[in-house]
Amino acid sequence: MSDPASFAETPGVNEAPNFPLRVVDGLTLPPEYRKALRPGEEWKDATGFPRQLPRYFYEVPSWDSAMKIELASHFLLWEFIQVDVREAPPLRTFPRYVPCAITLLAVCLERFRDAVGTLVHISANGGYRSPSHRFSKNATPHAWGTAANIYRIGDTYLDNRGAIERFSLIARQTLPGIWTRPYGAPTGFAEDHLHLDLGYVLSVPRDVKS
Amino acid sequence: MPKEEGSAPPTTEIVPRDRALREQIEKIEQESGAKAIAVALRDAETGLELHYHGDRWFHAASTIKVPILLGAFAAINRGDLLPHSRVHVRNRFLSVVENIPFRVESGRDANSAVHNAIGKMMRVDELAYHMITTSSNLATNLLLGVIGSDAVNQTLKELHVDEGIELRRGVEDELAFEKGINNMVTADGLLRILIMLSEGKAFSPALSRRMMDILHGQEFNQGIPARLPKGTRVAHKTGEISTVAHDAGVVYLPKRKPYVLVILTEWDPETTGRSRTIAAISHTIYEYLTQGPVDE
Repeated sequence: MSDPASFAETPGVNEAPNFPLRVVDGLTLPPEYRKALRPGEEWKDATGFPRQLPRYFYEVPSWDSAMKIELASHFLLWEFIQVDVREAPPLRTFPRYVPCAITLLAVCLERFRDAVGTLVHISANGGYRSPSHRFSKNATPHAWGTAANIYRIGDTYLDNRGAIERFSLIARQTLPGIWTRPYGAPTGFAEDHLHLDLGYVLSVPRDVKS
Repeated sequence: MPKEEGSAPPTTEIVPRDRALREQIEKIEQESGAKAIAVALRDAETGLELHYHGDRWFHAASTIKVPILLGAFAAINRGDLLPHSRVHVRNRFLSVVENIPFRVESGRDANSAVHNAIGKMMRVDELAYHMITTSSNLATNLLLGVIGSDAVNQTLKELHVDEGIELRRGVEDELAFEKGINNMVTADGLLRILIMLSEGKAFSPALSRRMMDILHGQEFNQGIPARLPKGTRVAHKTGEISTVAHDAGVVYLPKRKPYVLVILTEWDPETTGRSRTIAAISHTIYEYLTQGPVDE
């Protein structure tokens, strides 16, 4: 028979996780954010299949915090939220909102980084971007926070077939279920980066009650 | 006819000077081996204007970046962009021919700053600076990708400087070049834009000044400035491909108002002496404006 004392709680072990970002329900955000983020709405992918957009987001209060918050040992939050002038104006200033599934992507990229043994660089517009971003034509996992465009690994620029296919193979071997965009120029292909994504994953943190 | 106070010098005074200057430029053209030369000049000090084949069309080469600069500042003026708005630096563009992707060769940009930022972001004002001062083709296509050719053309139209400027595509679009789809300019067309900039009339004096500041940063100085005296400031933009060599700018000499000068030249690909010819024309004009016609 087990000693009941062995089930005694280790101090602090069941306290709220030490993650500094507040979770917000996108449906409660001001209208300009709801219009740009379209929380919980359906959005069709390139084949016409409807996908449900994320509803819950982490609120990023400032660039300074994004520069400090580690999503994984070698990935800081800012690397996932670099967007240019093509992003909807309300989403280019702080506070910024990023789908909660971004943490899953970061864990995958950390594992990928271990496999390649060097720095993995996410391009601008290549992490989370909203459905209102000018690059977002159809439902893209980038708007779920579950896709990354990697333009450089170590000193290797992924701008040619050899490099893209080599690292794509490593990604698929390392990350079960990951999807990588094939090399090529037409729509649906990539020739100047490695696109990898986890699909249309929705993450609802446990403290969300609604 | 009575002379009006403050008006430009009467025609009877201008014509002989214009004619003598023309003859000197003709002489340089004949000796140069160029296929064609066009010169447009407006001197704010004397009122002298010269239009030597001013309406002849030339491949624009990199002089098209001046209208694109205007387009970028129009977007800033409208509030669509801020000078510090960030743009994703990506070397992938679509040709106007069937949307086929192409890249800008890094070896053809004099400055590696923009190529070194691939994957990252640069500010609109940084891209504008590199587009003009070192003629970065990558910066040019990135700016044009954000602004759009149609918006630039609309800006030119609204400012009434669209005549003599044909912006049809980005730079290094080889497929378009092969099909004869090119950006084209006339000397008079570029002259109108530069006059507007130098007079502070492009959107606002402050924005005009910022564009002029960028043009003052030009690093390629083998053309118009090459034989001008020390202390002369020239805000200008060059342009060169295998068959053309151009320079267009505003010349600021001490103790006089500036003059706007555009020199466009066309050549057989193997012909040399392009910069020398542009510098000679520029020097001739400088002497003319500052010392009077030497051949009269």
